[in-house]
Amino acid sequence: MHHFVIRALTFALAGGLLSTPLSPTPAAPKVTFTIGIQSDVDSTNPFTGIVVEAYETYALMYDYLTTSSAKDVSPQPSLAESYSEAPDKKSWTYKIRAGVTWSDGQPLTARDAAYTFNRIIDGDFEQTNYGNYVANIDKAEATDDNTLVLHVKQPTPIMERLAVPILPEHVWKDVDGKAVKSYENEPQNGQPVVGSGPFQLVERRKGQYLRFAANKNYWQGAPKFDELVFRVFTNADAEAQALIRGEIDFAYDLQSNVFNSLKDKPGVTTRSSEYSGFNEIAFNTGAALADGTAIGDGHEALKNKQVRLAISHAIDRKTLVDRVLNGHGSPGDTFIPPVYPLLHYTPTAPQNFDLAKANQLLDAAGYPKKADGTRFALRLFARQESQDSQSTAEFVKSWLKEIGIDVTVKVMSEDTLTEVIGQGDYDMFEWGWVVEPDPDYQMSVFTCGKRSYKDGDAIYADLSDSFYCNPAYDELYEQQAGETDQAKRAELAKRMQQLVHDDAAYAITYYYNDLVAYRSDRWTGFTPQPDPHGSLLFQYGVHSYLTMAPVTATGAPAAAESPSGGSLGLVVTVAVGVLILGGAGFLALRRRSSASADDRE
Amino acid sequence: MTAIAWQRRRATAARFWADFRSHRSALVGLGILLFFGLVAVFASVLADPAGLDVTKATAPAHAAPSAGYWLGTDQNGRSVLTLLIHGTRVSLIVGLAATAIAIVIGTVVGVMAGFYGGWARSTLMGFTDWFLVIPFLPLAIVMATVLGASLLNIVIVIGVTSWPGTARLVCAQTLSVRERPYLERARALGGGDWHQMTRHILPNVMPLVLAHVVLTVSVAILSETTLSFLGLGDPTRPSWGYILDNAYGTGAMSNGEWWFVLPPGLCVVLVVLAFTLVGRALEVVLNPRLREGP
Repeated sequence: MHHFVIRALTFALAGGLLSTPLSPTPAAPKVTFTIGIQSDVDSTNPFTGIVVEAYETYALMYDYLTTSSAKDVSPQPSLAESYSEAPDKKSWTYKIRAGVTWSDGQPLTARDAAYTFNRIIDGDFEQTNYGNYVANIDKAEATDDNTLVLHVKQPTPIMERLAVPILPEHVWKDVDGKAVKSYENEPQNGQPVVGSGPFQLVERRKGQYLRFAANKNYWQGAPKFDELVFRVFTNADAEAQALIRGEIDFAYDLQSNVFNSLKDKPGVTTRSSEYSGFNEIAFNTGAALADGTAIGDGHEALKNKQVRLAISHAIDRKTLVDRVLNGHGSPGDTFIPPVYPLLHYTPTAPQNFDLAKANQLLDAAGYPKKADGTRFALRLFARQESQDSQSTAEFVKSWLKEIGIDVTVKVMSEDTLTEVIGQGDYDMFEWGWVVEPDPDYQMSVFTCGKRSYKDGDAIYADLSDSFYCNPAYDELYEQQAGETDQAKRAELAKRMQQLVHDDAAYAITYYYNDLVAYRSDRWTGFTPQPDPHGSLLFQYGVHSYLTMAPVTATGAPAAAESPSGGSLGLVVTVAVGVLILGGAGFLALRRRSSASADDRE
Repeated sequence: MTAIAWQRRRATAARFWADFRSHRSALVGLGILLFFGLVAVFASVLADPAGLDVTKATAPAHAAPSAGYWLGTDQNGRSVLTLLIHGTRVSLIVGLAATAIAIVIGTVVGVMAGFYGGWARSTLMGFTDWFLVIPFLPLAIVMATVLGASLLNIVIVIGVTSWPGTARLVCAQTLSVRERPYLERARALGGGDWHQMTRHILPNVMPLVLAHVVLTVSVAILSETTLSFLGLGDPTRPSWGYILDNAYGTGAMSNGEWWFVLPPGLCVVLVVLAFTLVGRALEVVLNPRLREGP
């Protein structure tokens, strides 16, 4: 689950593109843009939600001090029109835009921003989602209505990427630290949720949809349509069908085969964008608490770096991309994806698919093949929620069999797996991370201090899921945390990736693409991030929501109505199924009636 | 003595077979079962198990039926026919093993409850009723989730959730058998509880149980398919439900890939139908009450 937290956190930076001038509002019929999603927004309260879809709603409802540019995801001003570090490096000053108002008419000032930050700094539950951004901040202070000053403990590069939604003080001051845990932040008595972003939440039905109204007074310019709806689907197939029928305009989070099936549908454009996520086979490199006490039941062999390297060499990443992702991704190597070219490290000693070398490494490591051709047995945990995870596990099992490692695959829910990992009760598992533009969070995952911890008698998971611990790595981590020169910091980040790669804490399998499809016959003007091949929606910021517009040409193509081969096939399938069941039922009935006839004889 | 006993047994068996044979649909069912049984036993001969290995697959994913792949390929480029043949084995094993568990629990509980009567019966039957009223699917889903997805766990889940019907049936039959004169005689001659239960009651409830077994198998196979389809099956052992789950999960339905969906569905329907046909016939043959008519 914590992987999802990261995935979610990354989407929280709000939009910052300078807007084009307002076009006059179209007359009578409301123009609605509907997005199909597969995970319902778990909470519209920014302190509670964890899924990506929830963070997208925060970005729509609220503003953030800074955002990530659409062009290359670099930090750029947003609600703060400018910001600077004090010469003594003890504080940062943010100039809050003048004239911004909340949706209920109240002005948005630096006091709201200071309130939000202080609430998190002093809070308890409020720390859950935003704690890592304020860890280095002592205190937030509004020196006047337009100036926010954040006092920091040490110079840190994260101050340009504080992904914290600025909340209205006059609303949230009535929600105390206890009430916030269960506060829903949903429309009440027909009143939309008070926010300052480009959209306001006006209606919410759990498990069904969320409806937003455009903020016509948005400071970056009003969105070019009136309503935005997130509609929840239980699987990709249903979502794809809704797109073909024209019930939704945008299908998010598609499975690769469903995605492929949409390719030649009239009026639909599919888009496979490079994305900032990777998946890995993680190893139990020797589970221990942060203080070094050993825990869990991981296999002894995996503590040996050569064994982990051998396994990594036995994974054919190219085949995984071709077969599991249907080509929608690229083979993986290090933990910052190439979508961040400045930070990504391309290893000089890549772990290529080489079974002979893998066998050699294992022989040399002191695990010779026994008479039956095996060396030892390992467990591999895959996730119930992901078809791709289970497929990957099947592939890895087969390859490892070739090098004499007998793998037992077990499938479990992500919640259970999180628990199991925290206790160190595993050998290998398949999961992934989404890496946000600032790599600090991702890099912290491999530090010694992020291993599990003990509270009373119970062991709790922290971020580390490989229990990697290397003092040299920790030293680099400390160094980069205080390095404000981006080029020098990138150099440090590369060295850290190299360490984790060469020590094979993870065997990173692939970088997957973001697969979406949308009605290009109706909508245009999306802003990809990064330009030109990046995601269209669910970005770091709200760029697309401000630029996209309905296609103005009259008469939507009638193609949407014609039955497609796909649905025809489905109809045939269902019809035949019904026939068979009917036949079976008929036979059984006939059998009964003839039996009773026999009986009477 | 033994010669006479054998003669009688042979005569009974012959009569049974003659009775059974008179039900034409039962013979059809038996034929279908025989076919699937052979497929399950000779699965490895019919289709090379290497075809199940995802890393060895070379065909394109989701391919339509062709000369090399009679029923097309799945999302990993494996032959659906190979999966289907090996799935027969898994589905049948799960069906039979789960039934064995259900029957053993059901028979033990039923016989004990019927034989001892009194508070033992109210307690055991109360327990049975309690199990009977819990909706099967939610209980099975919860158990499968807690235990984790593996073949053995699926067997246990289905077995543990489908015994109450058998227990009720056996209890009712035991109650009637218990009152028969030969049991009174056995008691008078000093036969203990164990002796009475195993030597006299069990053989007399057995035919009924047998007929019930066959019907339970069909339910168990259906349950396995359901659970696998919901993604709770063992992902490393392809069963029919697993094939359907993969088809659903990878969009085969909306692409109209009938070769991926229809064959496993047909197999399930056929096997369940066959078991039901045989089971009903057995019931009629073995249960005199169903035979005599008004």
